[in-house]
Amino acid sequence: MSAASTNRQKTNTFRLLAPGVVWMILFLVAPIMMIVYVSFWTQTTFAINSTLTLDSWRNFFASEAYVGALWTTIRLWLIVLTLTFVIGYPAALYVGLLVKSKTVSTVLLVLCVIPFWTSFLIRVLAWRPMLGKEGAINIILQKVGLIDTPIEVLLFSELSVIIGMTQIYVVFMVGPIAFMLGRIDRNIIEAARDLGAGFGRIFWKIIFPLSLPGVVVGAIFVSVMVLGEFATSGALSGRKVNLLGNIIVTQVGSLKWAMASVVGVILTILLGIVVAGFLRIVDLKREI
Amino acid sequence: MTQSDPIFRLEGVTRRYGNLTALDGIDFVAEDNSYIALLGPSGSGKTSLLRVIAGFETPDKGRIWFQGRDITDLPAHERGIGFVFQNFALFPHLTIFENVAFGLRHGATKVPDAEITDRVRASIDMVGLSGLEDRNPDQISGGQKQRVALARSLVMQPKLVLLDEPLGALDANLRERMQTELRAIRERLDVTFLHVTGSETEALAMGDRVAVLDAGRIIQHGTPDSIYDSPAVSDVAQFLNRFNMFEGSLKDGMFHGAFGAVSVASARPNDTDVYAIRYDRTRIFDADASDLPGPALPVRYLASEYLGSSIIFLFETADHKTVEVDHHLSLGEPRDLTVGQNYVLSWDPAQAIVFGKESAR
Repeated sequence: MSAASTNRQKTNTFRLLAPGVVWMILFLVAPIMMIVYVSFWTQTTFAINSTLTLDSWRNFFASEAYVGALWTTIRLWLIVLTLTFVIGYPAALYVGLLVKSKTVSTVLLVLCVIPFWTSFLIRVLAWRPMLGKEGAINIILQKVGLIDTPIEVLLFSELSVIIGMTQIYVVFMVGPIAFMLGRIDRNIIEAARDLGAGFGRIFWKIIFPLSLPGVVVGAIFVSVMVLGEFATSGALSGRKVNLLGNIIVTQVGSLKWAMASVVGVILTILLGIVVAGFLRIVDLKREI
Repeated sequence: MTQSDPIFRLEGVTRRYGNLTALDGIDFVAEDNSYIALLGPSGSGKTSLLRVIAGFETPDKGRIWFQGRDITDLPAHERGIGFVFQNFALFPHLTIFENVAFGLRHGATKVPDAEITDRVRASIDMVGLSGLEDRNPDQISGGQKQRVALARSLVMQPKLVLLDEPLGALDANLRERMQTELRAIRERLDVTFLHVTGSETEALAMGDRVAVLDAGRIIQHGTPDSIYDSPAVSDVAQFLNRFNMFEGSLKDGMFHGAFGAVSVASARPNDTDVYAIRYDRTRIFDADASDLPGPALPVRYLASEYLGSSIIFLFETADHKTVEVDHHLSLGEPRDLTVGQNYVLSWDPAQAIVFGKESAR
């Protein structure tokens, strides 16, 4: 190959990459740099100026409320992640593997997606009449005679936030897992049976390892969404549960850009660690 | 071959899918320690039969006996029958070693680790894959996958291994080498192979016994030469792909066909009247020849195919039916034929096989 054509190839590669690179720099790299930069600005009650200072960072780690919100975010994320996995995996197993007909499994997957036809906020708010003191669940339990007084902890508590988030995000766990399970060659499972393995062994040694990439993708989806959450906790916790997302909303609302940026940077770092951690579990490149 | 107790026995095994009858009351007895080839066209129920024997499907009717025991209601993982899948079905996330070790590690009986290592190594060695133990299934070739699938079944020391078109996914060269190797491996171990195939040459070459399956029934069962030399019904002759088959009518010991009327010494019972003569028993004569050994079939010459050891000449009859003549070159140089020219085909009537509704005399 001549030097000229090598050069032309290089120019072409550059031209093809340019739009994407420009886009990412303008709308991803630059804003993140900006947020990091603003987090070091000096905030006074009514104004902000670009004198660099560590005050906002110091305030964040000195405040019990802010650090508490960080831990609450991590705790709620772990609980919701576990619940979506525990509830989502069996559902995915049924849809992706146990249902023999491809049509039925597609129909079931579509059914999982139907709640998305209503808006996110309505789906969250719909939990209020379900969980409230005079809500559906309390009424039914009282009618059946299981309880005398309504269970108050159901709504405006951490529990209601967990219930709401799990319901909303579980489908993001079911989808990728069901997809991976659907790709498993049925002959492989029969081969394992033929070699004398019972269902438990086949599940743990064949089915689960082969579905692991789906679990990781689902976990990344759920994690990214739950860690950045503010609406569900805002609507279902009665302001009792503060997540990092809620703090950003409040700080931006009162024009405290520096503190909002600090929380944003911390959230971004947390997300980066979580996603990187999940990607270490499986080599997703091999699956695509 | 020593006669011994049957390794497995099928009694009226029937399997239906909706309206479709895949297996229609199959009775079959297989001797221990033999190579059985199951020949049938696609859709004849070959794979269904294997799956029923392996326990992946339950028959609607009938019983399955294995080593003198009724296993009809036994789940697949308790049967101890090996199965080699057409697409090999290796575990993609496990190494070759772990693939072969799977049954020993996770099967019903607990096997000590040291014994697992020994048996897996011996098994991998037997199929000639030593040194590849740590590879993944996507790092080896099709022929090697085939061997891993075989080793994975054989390491369990089964008395019966079912092979579902095991050579179907391999290229022609490899197929021939694996044919020899499969036979050699089977003879070394005390095990019965039931090998399903759609290829008549493969079935005849490999089987100690050949069973021919058609539309869910076994229509003939015997040694390869008995099947080749005397197909029981016209369908078997059809599958063997070695016969020119003529329709016609059989009446009072005379067969009336495109080649005129021929007297027939004996006929085998069949649903239709069919006259069959092997490709290599059919001979070519000039259109005006008078010294014919038997009936005369006027034909037009179309083309020839050179196969190395023989030549196949293709002719067309007046009613556009293709007729083949197989000329072995060891019998001398073939005659020169002109494309489009008319010739006459003839044969010794004693070598023909006649099937008829009226199985005469």
